[in-house]
Amino acid sequence: MPKHIVRLIVLLVASGAVALIAKWYFTVESFYEYGHYRAGSVPEIAAQEPVYKTARYCQSCHSERHAQWSANNHKSVTCETCHGAAQGHPEKGKLPIPADTVKLCTLCHEAMAGRPGTQPQIALAQHSGGQQCKVCHNPHAPKIAAAVIKVTGDVAAGRQRAAACASCHGPEGISPNDTWPNLAGQSAAYLARILAAYKSGDQKDVMMTPLAQALSDGDVRNLAAYYASLTCRTIPSTARIGDAAAGKALAKNCAACHGATGTAGNPGWPHLAGQKAGYLVNVLKAFRGGLRKDPMMAAVVRGLSDADIDNLAAYYAVQSCRP
Amino acid sequence: MKREAINSLLARRTFLRKIGRAATCAGAIVAAGALGVTKTVAAKGESSSSGGSFPTKDYDWTKHQWAFGVDATKCIGCLRCVEACKRENDVPGDAHHFRTWVERYVYLEGDKRARIDSHHDPVNIEASGSEREFRFANRYQGAKVEKAFFVPKLCNQCTHPACVQVCPTGATYRTQDGVVLIDHKYCIGCQYCVQACPYGARFYRPKERVTDKCTWCYHRITKGLEPACVEVCPVGARIFGDRNDPQSPISLFIRNNRVQVLRPETGNAPNVFYVGIDKEVS
Repeated sequence: MPKHIVRLIVLLVASGAVALIAKWYFTVESFYEYGHYRAGSVPEIAAQEPVYKTARYCQSCHSERHAQWSANNHKSVTCETCHGAAQGHPEKGKLPIPADTVKLCTLCHEAMAGRPGTQPQIALAQHSGGQQCKVCHNPHAPKIAAAVIKVTGDVAAGRQRAAACASCHGPEGISPNDTWPNLAGQSAAYLARILAAYKSGDQKDVMMTPLAQALSDGDVRNLAAYYASLTCRTIPSTARIGDAAAGKALAKNCAACHGATGTAGNPGWPHLAGQKAGYLVNVLKAFRGGLRKDPMMAAVVRGLSDADIDNLAAYYAVQSCRP
Repeated sequence: MKREAINSLLARRTFLRKIGRAATCAGAIVAAGALGVTKTVAAKGESSSSGGSFPTKDYDWTKHQWAFGVDATKCIGCLRCVEACKRENDVPGDAHHFRTWVERYVYLEGDKRARIDSHHDPVNIEASGSEREFRFANRYQGAKVEKAFFVPKLCNQCTHPACVQVCPTGATYRTQDGVVLIDHKYCIGCQYCVQACPYGARFYRPKERVTDKCTWCYHRITKGLEPACVEVCPVGARIFGDRNDPQSPISLFIRNNRVQVLRPETGNAPNVFYVGIDKEVS
């Protein structure tokens, strides 16, 4: 064999050997173990620590909140969807409580093309008058569970029973003075709820408590049905309090529940249109002072001054109660 | 026959005999060598999988076959999944790097084709006020919308992944439990896989010079948790589970619905199953 051919063969064999050794040397242990990749990278990836810890992790400390949340409509929205990932909590500090609930809640609840019809959606401009969602909605139990029960009572029986109420609330449910509320045309569900609250002691009043305690559950329903059946009237108040125009601006914050002009869309909440101004002032102050208890109203009236309350009362007192 | 000829035949026979012996010896050596190699491979196998199960002590990948479901009829486009995914997997913060995303398809009255946008559309970035927060702008408020829906998207973890086929370094691969992963130590950032993926599921991390993509939160599912996007989805539009378990959410989802996959014609055999999408979604 010619010399140069031998050299060439030796060179080829040598470089092949070098290549094989290099491959053996540079290929890490676990390569080819399960395929053409480094098996060791799988445990590396699997070892990463989870950032989102799941609601079960939160439950170990916040069991009370967890119980309320998991029993209500937002149970499909996990803690970390709103509060952020729990990694590092509690060691490294608190998780945020979202302050701008309008921004947060509208991510899911702003009415938008493409969202399925089953998703509760709001047109923001017509819903809250710019208020934060959590003023009315508890994010952990978002559904407003006001008494939306349909009240069915006997109007005739109610009229008989109402004779005892007439001295204060007027024979036709229109109160003779500024301190006691008109009842004519009020929502039956609301009337029944409030009467039941006086009866049970949840709500207290020197005059109303003993009267309501004498009523049976049937009486409560009949009275509510009777007063709801009467026609309301707006009688201009004799007491000149507040500025109705200023009240109108404030009333935007009440519109979601009580309607733009004080006629509530939801039967669980009272109509305010044409109500006595003095009565409205007293009630708002009672909510503010905690004498009347309602979590939603307490949150709404917290920021109101005496003048604001007067203005609101003046506004609602002059609204027509027949839309 | 001439003596010379006989002699040459004998010589040839001896030569062949010698060759035969040499071949047998060589074969034996090669076989022994091969045996040695197999032994070392087996030893390697034991070293990287502690105590028999792989990839972790408590998780055996041969016992699972993961799959993902998307019910587009439930999606509300809140983008909590996109945010959670970014946080969970340390994805670059800007709007243009993401492992999962949601597309909005809107057909206005008279339109032949859908208008499609996603969270990184300039209008949507403006609505959220920042590239780090995600929100769909209410941009079709006044328009007459004929039909509209949201479609969540993510890596399809294909059974025959094109991205794995093209990787020159073996940095991306399909695990035995059905997830396509990337070995960032072996990735050279050539982005061939980014181009090969028919779904646009991969992206490049410029800082680390590697490609990245959805792993169905492999570090979570191997610990018995759900992927972060499934965990935070408020409406159950994302379904995840083990196809080996006939009662798992994904098995029920596939059984109880008429599901479809995206771009079946590419032959990648995707493992994300969709319900409620339109012909234009691909």
